[in-house]
Amino acid sequence: MIVEFSYKGPTSESTLLELLSDTSRKAKLLAGGTDLLVGIRGGVYKPDLVLDLKKIPEYQKLVLGEDHALTIGPAVTINEILSNKVVQQYHPLLCACAKDLASYQIRNRATVVGNIVNASPCSDMAPALLCLDATITIASVRGKREVAIGEFFTGVKKTVLEKDELVTAVHVPASSASANGVYRKLKRIQGHDLGIVGVAVAQVQGKLRIAVSSAAPTPVVTKPLDGTLSVEALLKEVDSIISPISDVRCSQEYRRFMVLEYTKYLLREVTSC
Amino acid sequence: MLIRVTVNTVVYEREVKENRTLLRFLREDLGLTGTKEGCGAGECGACTVFLNGKTVNSCMVLAVEADGGVVQTIEGEAQEGMLSALQAAFEAHGAVQCGFCTAGMIMSARQLIHNNPHPTKEEIQEGLEGNFCRCTGYEQIIEAILDVTGQVQEKEELRYV
Repeated sequence: MIVEFSYKGPTSESTLLELLSDTSRKAKLLAGGTDLLVGIRGGVYKPDLVLDLKKIPEYQKLVLGEDHALTIGPAVTINEILSNKVVQQYHPLLCACAKDLASYQIRNRATVVGNIVNASPCSDMAPALLCLDATITIASVRGKREVAIGEFFTGVKKTVLEKDELVTAVHVPASSASANGVYRKLKRIQGHDLGIVGVAVAQVQGKLRIAVSSAAPTPVVTKPLDGTLSVEALLKEVDSIISPISDVRCSQEYRRFMVLEYTKYLLREVTSC
Repeated sequence: MLIRVTVNTVVYEREVKENRTLLRFLREDLGLTGTKEGCGAGECGACTVFLNGKTVNSCMVLAVEADGGVVQTIEGEAQEGMLSALQAAFEAHGAVQCGFCTAGMIMSARQLIHNNPHPTKEEIQEGLEGNFCRCTGYEQIIEAILDVTGQVQEKEELRYV
C-alpha cells in the first residue's frame, strides 16, 4: 500500500506558490508522474500533499518565438515536443534526445521540466539542454529567478531548487536555434531502456559543445570548444569533465571508453552536416 | 475525493482515495480486470490504457487525475460481442499466448495504427517499445499488426481489414 496523501490541483500559479510556501507540509509536485509515482510506490518519496500543476493553463504552453527561441512550460510533455514541426526543424538535438526517452506511453505523460527536475545523472533531456545553453525559470512566493542549466544540477537527484520553489519554464535561446546536434545513448536493448552512457554533440554558433549523461553525479557539458581543435584535444576535454563509476550496469572503464568512442563517432556525424 | 470518469462510454461517479492509481481504480473499483499490472513502474506496459485519447501507463496515473476525463480500456475494444479487427488478427496470428501483455499490447497497437495507418516493421517495433511480451518473441504480434493494416501479401486467408 502506498503512503496516504492529499491531492490538490490549483488552477492558478499564485495558489500553487502559496501552497508550496507552507514548508511544514511534505509537498511533492506532480506533472507526468512517471518518476514521482514510481518513487512514492518504492517509498523513496513520502509526501503528505501532492500538488498537480497540470491545471494551470500557462504551464501547458510551448511558446515558439519568431526568432525560434523556445519556452517550455512545466506541463509540456515529451511527445508534445516531438510532434511539434517547428521544434523538429529548429531544435533537432532536443528531438533526438526526446526520442530516446523511455517509451511512447511514458512520453505521453513525462515532461521536459520533470526530466530536468528529477536530476537523474542519466537524464535524456539534460544533454540537449546543456549543449543548447538553456536557462531555467524558478518561482516561489519570494519571486522569480533564472538559473543557467549548467548551474542547476548539484548532485545525484539534487538541484538548486529550494523547498518552496518550482521550475516554471525552460528556455532555449534563439542563439541555439538551428544548431546541428546529435545524441547517442548506449543501452542494453534498442528500445525502452535507461542509458549506460549518453553523449550529445552540438555545433552552436561555430562552437562545439559536448554533453554527457550517466558518467558523472550530474549530466555534464564541456565549455564551448573551438571547432578547429584536433579530435584528440576534444576528447581530452570530454575526458576531463566525466567521473564515471562502476555499478550494476557496467564498469567505470567501460563507461569512460564508450563515452570517448561515442564522442568520436558523433563528432564525425556533426562536422559532416 | 469524488471523481467522475467516462470509461468505455459509461460515466462513473466514485469516491476514491487520493493515492489510488488509475489502474487499481479500473480493476478494483470498477471491476474492469482486463487491464493488468505487471511491473508497477512503467517498464512493461501491461497496464496501458487510453486517457483522453493518449496511451498512458495506468499504474503511474492517479485516479483523481482522470477526473472529468475519458478512459478506454481493453473492455471497450470489442463491439457488440464481436472482436475488433485488431483483436481478431492477434488471435489468428497466435499473438496471444499467456495473454498477460495482450490488453496493453492491443492499446499500444491501437495508438500506433491511429498515428500511422501503415506502419513498417521497424515502426511497429518502435511503437510497441513500451510493451513487454515474454511469450511470443514479438514476431506474431508484429505480423498481426502488419496484417490488420493490410500489409501481408502472402497469407491471403489471414487478412482482417
